[in-house]
Amino acid sequence: MPRLIWYGLPCALGAAALTLAHAGDPLPPDTTYRPLPALPFSAVRANDEAARPGVMQRQRALLEQRYDLADRPAAVMMSGGRKAVQEGVRVKLPEGETWDGLAAMSPQEIRDRDLLPDGFKPLPHTKQAAGGQVFPEEQITEIGRDEARDLRRFDVDFDLPAHLTPEFPPPIFLTTHPELGDVSRGDLLTIRNFYEYMNGIVTPVQMEGLRLLLTPFPQEEFNQTEDRKVAQPSLGVACLDCHSNFHTNAAFHLTPDIRPQAERFRLDTTSLRGLFNQQIHGSKRSLRSVEDFTEFEQRTAYFNGDHVSATRKGVHLPDRPNQVAMMAQMQNIIDFPPAPKLDVFGRLDPAQASEQELMGEQVFMGKGRCAECHVPALSFMDNAMHDLKLERFYKIGETTNDFVAMPDGPIKTFTLRGIKDSPPYMHDGRLMTLADTVEFFNLVLGTRLTGEEKEALVAYLLTL
Amino acid sequence: MRALTIMLGLVLLPGHALAQFGNPAGWAPDSRTDAPGKPAPNQTNYQDRLFAQLVTAGGLAEVELGRLAAGKSTNDEVKAFADRMVGDHTDANAKLKAIADKSRMPLPDRLDPDHEKMRADLEKLDGARFDLEYMKAQVIDHQKTVQLLVWEIGLGQDAEVQQFAKETLPKVLEHLEMARQIQAQLADDARVRPAGTK
Repeated sequence: MPRLIWYGLPCALGAAALTLAHAGDPLPPDTTYRPLPALPFSAVRANDEAARPGVMQRQRALLEQRYDLADRPAAVMMSGGRKAVQEGVRVKLPEGETWDGLAAMSPQEIRDRDLLPDGFKPLPHTKQAAGGQVFPEEQITEIGRDEARDLRRFDVDFDLPAHLTPEFPPPIFLTTHPELGDVSRGDLLTIRNFYEYMNGIVTPVQMEGLRLLLTPFPQEEFNQTEDRKVAQPSLGVACLDCHSNFHTNAAFHLTPDIRPQAERFRLDTTSLRGLFNQQIHGSKRSLRSVEDFTEFEQRTAYFNGDHVSATRKGVHLPDRPNQVAMMAQMQNIIDFPPAPKLDVFGRLDPAQASEQELMGEQVFMGKGRCAECHVPALSFMDNAMHDLKLERFYKIGETTNDFVAMPDGPIKTFTLRGIKDSPPYMHDGRLMTLADTVEFFNLVLGTRLTGEEKEALVAYLLTL
Repeated sequence: MRALTIMLGLVLLPGHALAQFGNPAGWAPDSRTDAPGKPAPNQTNYQDRLFAQLVTAGGLAEVELGRLAAGKSTNDEVKAFADRMVGDHTDANAKLKAIADKSRMPLPDRLDPDHEKMRADLEKLDGARFDLEYMKAQVIDHQKTVQLLVWEIGLGQDAEVQQFAKETLPKVLEHLEMARQIQAQLADDARVRPAGTK
């Protein structure tokens, strides 16, 4: 036996060496891994701060070129009654084109003539090269006031106007207490107030899960090392800093699932409402349980899917049977906002819905083909990922604000329950209003809806 | 109106065509700045320099292997592809050389060992087997080049090098698409033909 090992080993090594000699060089390491900073923190900060006005001006120019950003509130309020839903199509058409004209063209023609509205293309992060979490002003102010924790970056600011983001703070509805309605008290849940607000309403394990979801842990841009984007060494961020009150405040990030950096698409924070009915998690990761999602976000939302960087900056790895389970228990009682016009199957109650809403439902179920993925009985999801193949309509590889637009590939079907509360829309927040989503899918799915059908569909989406 | 908005955006942004905002954490430690937060032109970080080396090596190989294939292949599509590689990559190499001279980056002027070996291996093959192996290698090389270009766009410092990467990327993606299609066609042909026939 020992002799066999002595003869066998050199043979195996020899074969391996032969194979290796034939292999080419791999691509440079930082095509995949995060590079360490090459400059001292003080120099990076000074340069970043000086560049920030230009960064923001460039992003503003892009947004204004793509969208009508005006404040045009509809008569409908979001579920907490704290902000109006915005109305109208906001994506700008190419000069001389109409929506119906575009819808009549083939994808090939739109691509060859470069006619896809830029607002339908992937939306770049404000600063692609740095990427990372960017919080809206309301969240920064509230956490600063309540916890004296700084969520402001010195290199970028939030880029969308406040009227195009969800109401703040969002209401909280619990599956365990439908009779109580919104239990947020109109305030943002923080590590300081959660016990006072939730004692008597949640169970002990839910409470502990909530505490963990509100506890800051080191993150790629908010940590104690020189590789950070916040002025002072930071305790980090909490899960609910983006998922404010278990919903979303439209904080954005880059997908952890793609490299190199310039190709990572923007991610608009998803709502955690209705997580209990969701079978897959993460726009591209298809994690199979709330527990997996909760555990792995420490690798992804916190550290961009780079466990090497995470280890250096101080990663928090919650204990699976206890901490993760309790965090999941808490998330699993977050309900969708009430939708009084829907019956138990998720269909409109004809006694309560208007004619236009009923027509919208018909379009949704039929000609619009929405329900093929957004199934009413499954909380308007299908628990699958689909590829819209938008690259049929534009030339890939175009660089905009340092972001390279490549095909999105399959993305998870998101729920449409409570959808009026969750602007901007799509995984990267590229669409500002529900009317935009109707035009987008009308083109992408080739459904040729009429003006009346489109308006009915928007009216229907507002009832969900 | 759209054109006007774009124009306005461009006028407002200094150095519009090169309006990159890289991450200063990745700038070279001795970077000089034109204005605060804006590195002076033609200063490179290690990513720019490594990119220039690797892409030039790849570009030289495209030209050399393209010439080899154009002379050796009997398949019209492969020959046309090879001719296009010679033309496009000769142009791209010259463009990158001009930028590298300004930024004082010495570039390789001969094939790297990986591609030397590839050429030697290809020279031993003929007919359909040559076409298939050449196109297979082309697919892999273009896949790697796409990732390299995207890497430079994200992590480079020299705006002119980044601009080169940005302009080259759509063309390389087009080459990759062509190479994938030809390779798939050749693989199909190989399946329907008995071994050893042309």
